[in-house]
Amino acid sequence: MVHEETLALVARLLREVMNEPEGLGPEITRDTAFSADLELESIELVALAEKLGTHYGPRVDFVAWLSGMELDAILSLTVGDLVEHIDTCLAG
Amino acid sequence: MPRRLARGIDFHVQDLGAGPPVVMLHGLLLGSVATWFFTVAPTLAATHHVRLFDLRGHGLSERPQRGYGTAEMALDLDALTTDLDEPFALVGHSYGALVALRFALDHPARVARLVLVDAPLPPSELAPLVAMKPDVLLAALPEAVQQAAARGGRQIRRLLASVGALLQDTSLAADVAAEPDVPDEALVSLVCPTLCVYGDASPCLPAGQRIARLVPGARLVVLRGGHFLHVDAPGPLAAAIQEHLRA
Repeated sequence: MVHEETLALVARLLREVMNEPEGLGPEITRDTAFSADLELESIELVALAEKLGTHYGPRVDFVAWLSGMELDAILSLTVGDLVEHIDTCLAG
Repeated sequence: MPRRLARGIDFHVQDLGAGPPVVMLHGLLLGSVATWFFTVAPTLAATHHVRLFDLRGHGLSERPQRGYGTAEMALDLDALTTDLDEPFALVGHSYGALVALRFALDHPARVARLVLVDAPLPPSELAPLVAMKPDVLLAALPEAVQQAAARGGRQIRRLLASVGALLQDTSLAADVAAEPDVPDEALVSLVCPTLCVYGDASPCLPAGQRIARLVPGARLVVLRGGHFLHVDAPGPLAAAIQEHLRA
């Protein structure tokens, strides 16, 4: 249940940073990859991290999460990976 | 988005981590806050307050028509760091490294340590790059960008639109072509501890060798990679910068 709420929030914020109104643009699911599927620009991913930081505060540390990741792993991140990370932070 | 008005321009600024301040500048055209945000900055942010901002005309900052020379950009840097504890460390990639170098020469007391990542000298070396035909330019870019281009989708359309706007609607190309070399006397006078990090396959390597030879006490670290070292060797680059900031 928590995953579904987080997924809905991430999808809404993604549409905001991509400037795609609800109902337009690609479908966003857990398996959607930021780069390969959405073709999100890296600066848009920065904007998404900023929005998540504003929403969740210091409980969800996006930067610390990235620091443990290789660039290839960042490039192949999916929406589900991010949702998982957020919920893990919130549960901790 | 965190924004700051400086010198009449609306800049996108990101602050990460806590500790002694380090400001990181990206390169021209393809660069943005994301250059460091997804590569070296997260590592540095574990021990430092990292400030990133999009240079004028880049990323999410406003795109004025003029002012793309290093002197103007060093004034932007000045205006965007007035609130930081001084002196701070300064890291720059490519043209961002030239802005950092200019700032360190103009404000020696404000810069604790300097890291120049694949800075081209003379700066006009970049001029042929910004004048290249798109297909030639593309071949010189990181593989991820080439792959995006091959897909021909949203990423490459947006990248070409932003690069095209900078080259067609602003004085960037002319400003880069007119940028004077940094003379030997200036490099010899640089007082802050300086690290040069260059790629072994980068055409800029001779510039790194020159800077390291002339700047008193400067060190040159050569990593495996090309001009985009934050993409080719993010781990070793972060380690080299960390070691220099700790020394």
